[in-house]
This record gives sequence, structure tokens and C-alpha cells, in this order.
Amino acid sequence: MFNRLIAILGLAGLAVGLLLDAPGARAATSAPHSSPAVEARLIAAEDGVTIGTQSISAALDIKLGEGWKTYWRSPGEVGIPPEITWSGSQNLAEAEILWPAPKRFRAFGIENFGYEKEVALPLRITLERSGEPVSLRAAVNLLVCSDICVPEIFELSLELPRGDGIDDQSAAQIAKFAAKVPDDGTGSEIDVTAAYISEDSTALVLAARSESGFAAPDVFPELGPEVAFGAPDIRLGDGGRTLWGNVPILYAGSTLPELRVTITDGARAATQSPALADAAPKPPFTLRAAVPGLGDVLAITIVAFLGGLILNVMPCVLPVLSIKLSSALKSGGQSRARIRSGFLASALGVLTFMWALAAVTLLLRSLGLSVGWGLQFQNPSFLTVMFLILALFAANLFGAFEINLPSSLQTRLARADGAPGHMGDFATGAFAAVLATPCSAPFLGTAVAFALAGRDIDILVIFTALGLGLATPYLLVATRPGLVSRMPKPGPWMVRVKAILGAMLALTAIWLLWVLIGVAGPRTTILVTLGTLVLVTGFSFGRFHGRTGAIVAALVAVTVMIGPGFLSAPAPAAAPAGTTNWVAFDRAEIARLVSTGKTVFVDVTADWCLTCKANKALVLDRDPVATALDTPAVVPMQADWTRPDERISRYLESFGRFGIPFNAVYGPAAPEGIVLSELLSSQEVLEALARASSGSELTRAE
Amino acid sequence: MGVDRRMVLSGIVLAAGGFAAWKYAPALFEGPLEFEPIDDPAGFRKIEGGDRSAAFDPFVGLSSQETDPNEAIAKARVRADICSALYGGEAGAADVVPVASFSDYYCPYCRVQTQKLVEIEERSSGGVKVVWHELPLLGETSDLAAKAALAAKRQGAYVAFHKRLMKSAFRASPEYLRILAKDIGIDHDRMIADMASQSVQDELHDSAALAGIFAFVGTPALVIGKTVIQGQISDRRIEQLIELERSEGISGICSTA
Repeated sequence: MFNRLIAILGLAGLAVGLLLDAPGARAATSAPHSSPAVEARLIAAEDGVTIGTQSISAALDIKLGEGWKTYWRSPGEVGIPPEITWSGSQNLAEAEILWPAPKRFRAFGIENFGYEKEVALPLRITLERSGEPVSLRAAVNLLVCSDICVPEIFELSLELPRGDGIDDQSAAQIAKFAAKVPDDGTGSEIDVTAAYISEDSTALVLAARSESGFAAPDVFPELGPEVAFGAPDIRLGDGGRTLWGNVPILYAGSTLPELRVTITDGARAATQSPALADAAPKPPFTLRAAVPGLGDVLAITIVAFLGGLILNVMPCVLPVLSIKLSSALKSGGQSRARIRSGFLASALGVLTFMWALAAVTLLLRSLGLSVGWGLQFQNPSFLTVMFLILALFAANLFGAFEINLPSSLQTRLARADGAPGHMGDFATGAFAAVLATPCSAPFLGTAVAFALAGRDIDILVIFTALGLGLATPYLLVATRPGLVSRMPKPGPWMVRVKAILGAMLALTAIWLLWVLIGVAGPRTTILVTLGTLVLVTGFSFGRFHGRTGAIVAALVAVTVMIGPGFLSAPAPAAAPAGTTNWVAFDRAEIARLVSTGKTVFVDVTADWCLTCKANKALVLDRDPVATALDTPAVVPMQADWTRPDERISRYLESFGRFGIPFNAVYGPAAPEGIVLSELLSSQEVLEALARASSGSELTRAE
Repeated sequence: MGVDRRMVLSGIVLAAGGFAAWKYAPALFEGPLEFEPIDDPAGFRKIEGGDRSAAFDPFVGLSSQETDPNEAIAKARVRADICSALYGGEAGAADVVPVASFSDYYCPYCRVQTQKLVEIEERSSGGVKVVWHELPLLGETSDLAAKAALAAKRQGAYVAFHKRLMKSAFRASPEYLRILAKDIGIDHDRMIADMASQSVQDELHDSAALAGIFAFVGTPALVIGKTVIQGQISDRRIEQLIELERSEGISGICSTA
């Protein structure tokens, strides 16, 4: 009721305002067309046509009522652009509409581009005979929408006699909106640098640059009337000077006409027709959202340090350490200073290798390789290699066979160690670090994941901590050379430690096997397991000795490692188990569902994500959450990230997340989504559901 | 001391009351449905949908552009039996509430409303029957989409057609229509033939005539039983009206037909 009163008062105010504004009969404006939705007039900057004038500037001036919208020349998914036909006009050669930059409207999950409140569509009118009076007859077809869509069909007429003088008010209005018409990029300093349409025509990726920097840009591509675009994913890089956008193509026709891209940013806008490139422009690496707090860095650094320390007792590293220590013990004649500097050099070797690893990681990242921890768990070859290594080491720790460093290597190590100068010590350290890498991955996943998703400095810090941890025994000896004699002597305790470590490795191996089932299918997994068994058995019965044995072993190993790459035909995506009726993830669908009053629970999961399984077993599949997700007002949506999926990656990235578990709740009261913590609790889920849905009816009540 | 405590208590009560009022009052005000009887066609009544649609002069409907003689014929045909034109054969059954939906594929909100109505009909298990009217007001493509929808309806795929259009906008190209027919599993050639048929044209004329008679200013528009609604309306309102119409029955306008 109130709203109506206000609307009426508003319209009355508008009418009074117009009456006061009208400067008299000579004004260059047409009689208005009025409806509750819109008031439209033709206006001209000049009161009359001066001698010799070839063109005049006019505009279709549109004032929209509260809540009403009209559309741009490309209206978006639905809608119709304003249309003007000029039949019946006199002395009119051509009338071109100059479209002011549009605004994006999102309603009911539909993207629309247009105008609200007021807009003047500037008209560039060319006369047939210069300097003579003109008579304009505009038949306008204007679609206006609010909670109802009304086609406004009306005629406006404007006579401009011979004469001169400027209608200040009309001229100002035309100028105001003419300034909003996108330019070619010269004045607005916006330059579309690249555009690429994916081969399957599902996305347009583009890049733009503005030396003055983007603040809040938006992208409006046009590809003929047949192609509809979805909501763009826009990223800024290089301190806001570069823009990268990915615009989903909802429907593409068979032929693609010339691409036009309009980029708006505040008051400026530019339209350009970039040539299509052969490759997608790279997104800028501004992982601003992933910048971790100091506390996080510290905690992860400690984890990395401890991880490095533990690596020393790993089966792959232990031999190196013991060689080094025993050589130090043996050479009792060496001075303390010599021992100290020797061990320092070894520590430096460890660190140098770690720094080299960090440098490689940074290089890969700067080359644009998508690095994100957990992604490699989507690769069957990686999984197989990891499984093989873990299974072999586990078998070794359980005493199935002994790993002896190749004798040539041992000799070289011993010789290097004895070599004068510190190069030998340095090499020993680096060698220990090299040997440690295969063991480190499964135990340091979190730290490495964090480093990869973080800034460059994070990578450096974490690899350094890792190296320091690994180098600690050397550093300890370096500070107190006397410790060498007090290092724990080999004994029965080693058997127990070995058993515990073996059990840990075996568990990790089993987990990897399970992930492999999800990624590559059961058949491949069985083959990999069999191959590994053959290897372990062969080793433990000493079948692989001599040159032939080594070749056979290598062949089996290579087959097992490479096989999955070929065999991993798409395994059927495992149907989500449990009682909840999950629907497949569809980012665009979320907004639509929310607009119809639904609450959407998004769960991003993967077979290789242990925490996800825990969340599922402890919270999602249990009451009261299972019941809450089963109500008709809630749509549970699941995204399976077991295999790489760019759509899911981008969705996660939009929240500054690079790993999972990820859960979010959307609803009428939380259209942007409430992000839940990694480790879910029933209470948290229920609260978020309530918060997102609260007032779904109330917000709609008038 | 005691006074302080009492003041704190009453403060809390006041705050709670204020919060409750703020939270629930709008729902209370939405409260009873206010109907306004319509003179023509007799027996129907209207309710205000959104504020905006209500502000239009109901006498300035869409009936202004009659050029095709078939439209006049359709108008006479519809006039003779509004109930059948509106609800097809669905108005007779006593326990079924008929709903007539008028929509355009180029009207953003229409898509959402159509989806809602499909859900309501599915949930009602026979208690609600929606009759789909196409009211293409928004130009040629809109007209073509309406014809395609009606052609799909003739192969029992109206809802499938609509759901497909929820995913991507309708495009007026022969290639698009071919893909569309394949996607929703209907015969393409038959669809093309139906789109050009007189029966589809007649149905469009009938819907347009109904829109003229009910003085619709735009889309979406709904007639639930004997209640006319224009513009967006909340799910709750729709359900409320359906229940009301169910209890009142539509005997006044349709039983004699």
C-alpha cells in the first residue's frame, strides 16, 4: 500500500518537475509518452535547424519508474532492445542510435544488460537536405520490465523549424548520456588485448589492459544475436592494469559473426572488435585471496620443519645419514673444526637442493602451469608411481628385502666423503635431500599444498623449513661435534621404528590404491596391485639380481607405472552414495534456484579427499543434517573433483580456495553464499542452512 | 536494585517484542487476500500482483492492434465460451483447480513463474491443472518461440521444451530448432509443420483474445480459478489462492459450460 502511495507521489513530483522545467513552446522536445512504467520524449540539442547544418543531435529520453528497466542493444539472455522506426519523417536521411554503456542486471538467475531510472539514447540524425526544417516521427517499441514485462509501443513526433538556438536542458541531457557511450579505447584507455573462443564454443576468454588501472570493470561481449553469454568470471592482475575474463557461452550458432567486446569501468567504457586468437590468454596470477596470515605461515613452517626432521629416519635417507655419521666417527683424527665445517657443508647441501626445488616450483608457476596440491591425485600415473614407491618401501620396512644403495654409488659417496675440501660434504647433503623427495610427498602434503597455493615467499619459506628440518642432524653435529659419539646406536629399537613407519607407509599406499580406483577404475587398480606384488615378491626372494634381474625388475616397474596412463579409460563416475539426493553441480543453476526461494547446499568432494569422506560420514550422511538436506526447500548439489574439472577449479578459486573439502550454502538471505569451514559440524551446517533461507518469504512480502 | 533489574527485564521484553514485530509484521500485513470483482468478464475477480502492474489503467489493455480478421473471429469465439478458451477441458472436474498461465519466452520473470507452476502442478498430484497460454508480446522471435512451444505441446513436450529453454535462451534459427527438437526428443519435421499450422495460429489468437478480454498489460499473467493476477506473485500467494479456489469452487463461471 505504502509503496503505491510513494509511487503516485513520485510520479506527481515528476510531472510537476517537468512542468517547471519546460522552458516554453520553443523547447526542442516532443510531447511525452507516459505510462506508469515509463515517460519517453524525443529531445534535440538545437531549437531549430541552422543554415548549412548537415546533422543534428537528438535523443530518445527515457525516464523509468522505480523498479522498471529497459534494455541495451544486446539485451542478454532474454529481453528485446529498444527499436525505433522513422517512417513518416521528413528530411531525414539516417538516424543512428548511440548506445550508452549498459548496466548488468541479475534477476532470477538471468543475465540482462540495460538501463534503469533514466537513460537517453543519443541519436545522430543526418538530414537529407542540409539546413532545411526536419520533421521526426519515431515509432518506438520499448520493452520495459519490472515484476511484469510490458511492451510499450508509442509514437513521438518532433518538429524542428529553420532557426537557431540551443535547448540547454536537452543539450545537457544528451551530452550526459553521449559521454557514457563507449569509445574505441583511445579516451577511455581500455584496450582489449586478446580474445579466444574455446574449440567447443563454450567459453570466451579475453584479456584487456588499461594503463590507468581497472576499478570495478564489467565485460559485455556481443557475437551476433544468436549467441547468449552467461555471467563472466573477471580477474584483475598487474596491480589492476590487466583484466582477464572468462565468459561462458550459453548457446552458440553455427557461424560466429564478428566479435564485439564492450568493457565498462565506472564512468568510462570502450567497445572494440578484437581478432580471435588461437590460444586462450593466461589468467593473471593474483592469488590475493590466498595470502595467508602470519600465524598460518608459522604453523605450516613448524610442520614443514618437523616433517623434514622425520625424513631423516625414512628408509631412503637413513643410509646416507648413517654413512655420513659413521665416516665422521671413524675419522676420529679429524679436528673438531674440520668436522664442524664438514657437517655445515652437508647442511648447506640439503638446503641448496631444497632451494633448487623451490626455484623449479616458482618457475613452473610463472610459466603458467596450474599447480595446486591434490591436483596430482587426479593423475593415474602419479598415483601409480607413488603407490609403487610406498608399497616397496613398506615391504622393505617390514623386512621383506633390504635396500642397498648400488655399490658404485656407495663407493662414490665414501670417496667423496673422504675427498679433501668441502665439496664431498656438500654432495652428501644434497644427495640425502634428493633421496628424501619420494618419501616426503605423502607426509608433507599439507605444507607443500599450502606453499603452492601461496605467494612466492611462502614457497621459499616452506622449502627452507623443510631443508632445515632435514639438515638438523648435520647442524646439531656441527654445533657440538661431540654429539657424533652419542648418536643412537643401531639396535632392536630400530626394528620397532621400522615396523611403525612401515605400517604408516602401508596405510598411505592402501589409501592411494583406493583413490586410484576412483580415478582409473578397478581393472587398472588390480593390474597395478598385481604388478607391485610381483616386484615385492621378486625382491624379497632375491630373484632380481645381476644385470638381467635388474632389467626385469625395471621392466615390470615401468609397465606398472605407465600402464594406467593407457588403461585409465573413463571409469564410470561413482554415483554418490548415501541417502541424500545430490544433484550435479551447476554454478549457473545456483542463482536460479535461489531466486525461486530454494536453499542450495554445495559440496565439493573427491575420492582422494580424506577430510571430505570424514565430513560425509560424520555430518552430511547423518541426522540431523541428512534430514535437513532432504527437505524440498533445500537442493543439495555435489561437485565431484576426483578428476580435473576447470569449472569446479574456477568456482573454488572465486572463494580463494585451491583445495577441498569445500562447502557453501546459498539461499534467499545469502545469495552470495556462506562458506563453511573445512571440517564440518552438524551445528554449523544447520545454522548456515537456517541463515541462508531465513526470511525467504518475508523478503518477498510487500 | 530491584528497579534496575525490572528495567533491564522490561527492556529485554520490549526489544524482543520489537524484533518479533519487525520480523513478522510484514507477513501479517500480507495477510488476507483483497479481491476486486471484474465487471467483464462477469464472475471473475482480480487481485493485485506486484505494485507496478496494478498501477496500469486496466482499460488500456493489449487489444489495440487488431489487424488480422482471424483475431476478431477468435475474440468472438473466446467470448462465446471464456471458460473453455481459458482452461480447455480442465474446468469441469470438481476437485481440480485450473490455472491458466500467460507467458512470453522473452520476459525474464515468466521463465521463473512457469517453472514454479510446473512444480506446483507436479506436487499437487492431480489437484492442480495448469493450462499454458503463450502470449508473445515481445516481437518476432518471441512469436516464433511461442509457436515452437505450442508445436512441442502437440507432441506432449511442453514442459520439456520449457525446461530446455531454462538452460539457454531461445534463438530464432533453423539450426537451433533442429537441436532443440533433438534435445527434447520430439519429431523435428512435425514441429516445423505444426509451427506453421492454423491450429497453432488459432491457439495464439485465442490466448491473445483472452489477454485482451482480461486487459492484461504484459507478462506474466495468471488466472487461478476465477481470480486474475498480473505480474510477479510469491509462491505462497499462489498456493494460498489455489487453496481458496479449491474451497470455493469455480461453479459460478465454468460449471454450466
